Amino acid sequence: MVDSQDMVKKVFTQKSARIDTNKGENYYNNLFEKAKQRLSTLKKQAPLKDIDMVDVIETEGINRRDFMKWVSGTTATLMLPPMFEPLVAEATELMNRVPVVWIELQDCAGNSEALLRSASPTVDDLLFDVLSLEFHETLQAAAGHDADRQLEDAVEHFKGQYLLFVEGAIPMANNGMYGTIGASGETFHEHLMRMSKDAAAVIAVGTCATFGGIPAAAPNPTGAVGVMDLVKGKPLINIPACPANPANMVGVILHYILTGQVPELDSLLRPKFAFGYRIHDNCERRAHFDAGEFVEEFGDDGAKNNWCLYKVGCKGPMTFNNCSIIRYNEGTNWPVGVGRGCIGCSEPDFWDKYAYQRPMAGANIKAPTGGVEKTVDEFGLGLLTATAVGIGVHAVASAVAGKKSEHNEEE
Amino acid sequence: MKTLNIVERIEGEAKLVCNWEDEKITDAQIQFLNFRGFEYILKDKPALDALVYTPRICGICGQAHLKATAQALENIYESVNEPLYITDKAKLLREIGLNIEIIDSHIKWFYLFIMPDIAKLSKDEKYLKYEAIKGESWRKGTYAASESIKALAVFAGQWPHTSYMLPGGVMSDPTLFDIMTMQNYMDQTLHFIEKELIGDEIENYFNFNNISDFDSLNGALSDFIKLCLENDFHNLGKSYNSHIVLSKNYLFESGRIEIKNRQSVDLSLVKEEDINSFKMNEPRRDNEYTWAKTALYNDKPYETGPLSRALISNRKLIKNMHKEYNDSVLTRVMARMDELIYLVFITKKLIKQVDISQDSFIPPKLSLKDIGTATGISAVEAARGSLLHKVTLENSIIKNYDVITPSVWNLGPGINEKYGIAQKAIIGANSLEKAYIILRSFDVCSVCTTH
Ligand code: SF4
Ligand code: SF4
Repeated sequence: MVDSQDMVKKVFTQKSARIDTNKGENYYNNLFEKAKQRLSTLKKQAPLKDIDMVDVIETEGINRRDFMKWVSGTTATLMLPPMFEPLVAEATELMNRVPVVWIELQDCAGNSEALLRSASPTVDDLLFDVLSLEFHETLQAAAGHDADRQLEDAVEHFKGQYLLFVEGAIPMANNGMYGTIGASGETFHEHLMRMSKDAAAVIAVGTCATFGGIPAAAPNPTGAVGVMDLVKGKPLINIPACPANPANMVGVILHYILTGQVPELDSLLRPKFAFGYRIHDNCERRAHFDAGEFVEEFGDDGAKNNWCLYKVGCKGPMTFNNCSIIRYNEGTNWPVGVGRGCIGCSEPDFWDKYAYQRPMAGANIKAPTGGVEKTVDEFGLGLLTATAVGIGVHAVASAVAGKKSEHNEEE
Repeated sequence: MKTLNIVERIEGEAKLVCNWEDEKITDAQIQFLNFRGFEYILKDKPALDALVYTPRICGICGQAHLKATAQALENIYESVNEPLYITDKAKLLREIGLNIEIIDSHIKWFYLFIMPDIAKLSKDEKYLKYEAIKGESWRKGTYAASESIKALAVFAGQWPHTSYMLPGGVMSDPTLFDIMTMQNYMDQTLHFIEKELIGDEIENYFNFNNISDFDSLNGALSDFIKLCLENDFHNLGKSYNSHIVLSKNYLFESGRIEIKNRQSVDLSLVKEEDINSFKMNEPRRDNEYTWAKTALYNDKPYETGPLSRALISNRKLIKNMHKEYNDSVLTRVMARMDELIYLVFITKKLIKQVDISQDSFIPPKLSLKDIGTATGISAVEAARGSLLHKVTLENSIIKNYDVITPSVWNLGPGINEKYGIAQKAIIGANSLEKAYIILRSFDVCSVCTTH
């Protein structure tokens, strides 16, 4: 058995795949100048909507301090240093310059639902009042042929400028017969291609749109695929998770407004500001993991004491996402917070790989970071077996920490 | 004349194909053209995996699916004579969770879909506040819904798509502080409902006997009633007027009503037909036009949902309205709002009853793996009506998983010369706008309908 707890630490917190949060003064100064210019150009453009952020903030009774608190939170989420705060505030006010079109394909509407409850100032104020949401099937006012027309108009009018948000997978089996849309009955595939053609960037929201999600789970009856399997030659951003965290959707839009570019992405096209580190790296139960204190079974004493959920199937160590920091429903809580463990919903194929309550040790998972996690798995397995034969959690932790001999003496 | 229209703003999309004669709809088809195949995906998966899959059938009613799965798996234990003991605390948390989800769903449905559409039928400027996105009421409604759902996130971890229930109880252990937080959110919801929706205190509302009690009030319900009467919605939207509720809880009773006689229900008489529905991997026949199937009880169509629940549980205001206006749009929408009001009231009480010193979860003595082959069934009242799950395990792996959603009862195609519930309700409408509102009165959810 590996005989150092430091090993666990090293493996689980290694920097290799993590975002570099400090790129140096030069980098940020450059970005700052670029963003300033970009914002002043945007400011000269006529707003698409005559509602502005300052008004909204005032009429909604959100005071300046609360707003600034939100701004500094969002700046941190975007992994920008505090000097960007005034620019982020300004970008928020310029949200009405960027048209957004949101389409739903093979989905459960979970991301739209999540979006309806984003961080304060509530998304109603932020996104729907100020952001120029040119089309959203569920939320817009128009219905029927009017809605069809509105979509066509938006795409025509904002050619090359709009951000296309896509929610849901695309069923490719049997010529796309499992999903058609609109009066003409075009397939989801045709619809996606047509809508993305003139978009400035395409943003796939939720695990269905990014990696095929649940419809693509074995045996993938409808031949579901994600947006990136189909849309090429276009800036594409993936915001996976089920549902995707609205804070990250807002973050991507703000980043685009600030810089005119997509944020830095990982190999799976996920913005590093949100997916640059693992759930496990910032988990509130992490101290228990390090101490070898695990929930062995739901409802046991460990569960009552909020110990680590690794052994009851938590996939936090394999999952890149920021929900341990951002949480859900305006920061109310997150799955690990209520003792459920992470199911790895922002990773490709998580349905088949990480399904519920299957401890990683037995699941034969290939790690996103490549190779390394196998050691961790075996190591995890080592811990499991050790406890199973009754050495006891404390003894294991101490043994792992290399204090075996002392411990033996005590006993 | 034949028309084809798209119905949006329903969580997904539906197609409405109508035949017209003398400016009236004489035939209507409601088509759902998006399909994911959950029942196929669930096959061959370990039983507990269903707890993570089924909530994803729908982004709005995931709690109902979660509860249905947990209970279907518990029913498997019963079927092999090893019933699980679920503590009151766990039972309460499950019911509270589901109630909050229904509360959220009802608020959004009314403020995001029903009111904007019906307000558009009037030229009176005072209804501009209901306009989608811009209107003040729209915004207040969205805000109220997103605040109330936080009461669920407190102990469920997130919403949508939580998975905190499992056979034997729930995983979460709320603290006293959590319980207080939940109560605060419910108080806010109650306040919104009194101030914005009713325009009166809830105690007074519980004494209302008829729609005339709303005459002097200023809430959204009074506006809704006025708009309904102006546009004939007290006569429109009638279907078979037979109702079914498959399960019961603190507020709802199970049963079915045809004309006036309430009878008990037997889950084994529920079945699903796909005569007019598309089938996986089979060429389409001319009569097939939707992914929705047809749910029947004893071979007959029934309406399910808040109106059915109000009638079977004998809630006064709705019972009285029903005497006068039958299963019209007016009664159906009011039943859903009446349910919302009762649910907020009851959920507040249920939260108080949670005894945090009890266990949340008692591990089953047997693992599902040891059970091998068995079948479990469960029914749950979801926002839109009765939801049924049936799971068969073979060697502890899912052999078959059957889901019958409320929308399948209400929105599935008719068969054997009989129209489906919503189909029948739409026939007779004299404008497309009205047909839309009739359809919406069933709270359409296309992703649930087809799953
Ligand atoms: S990723 Fe999850 S929330 Fe999103 S559409 Fe798919 S199943 Fe629903
Ligand atoms: S609960 Fe999960 S994410 Fe948190 S420390 Fe344990 S394994 Fe890591």
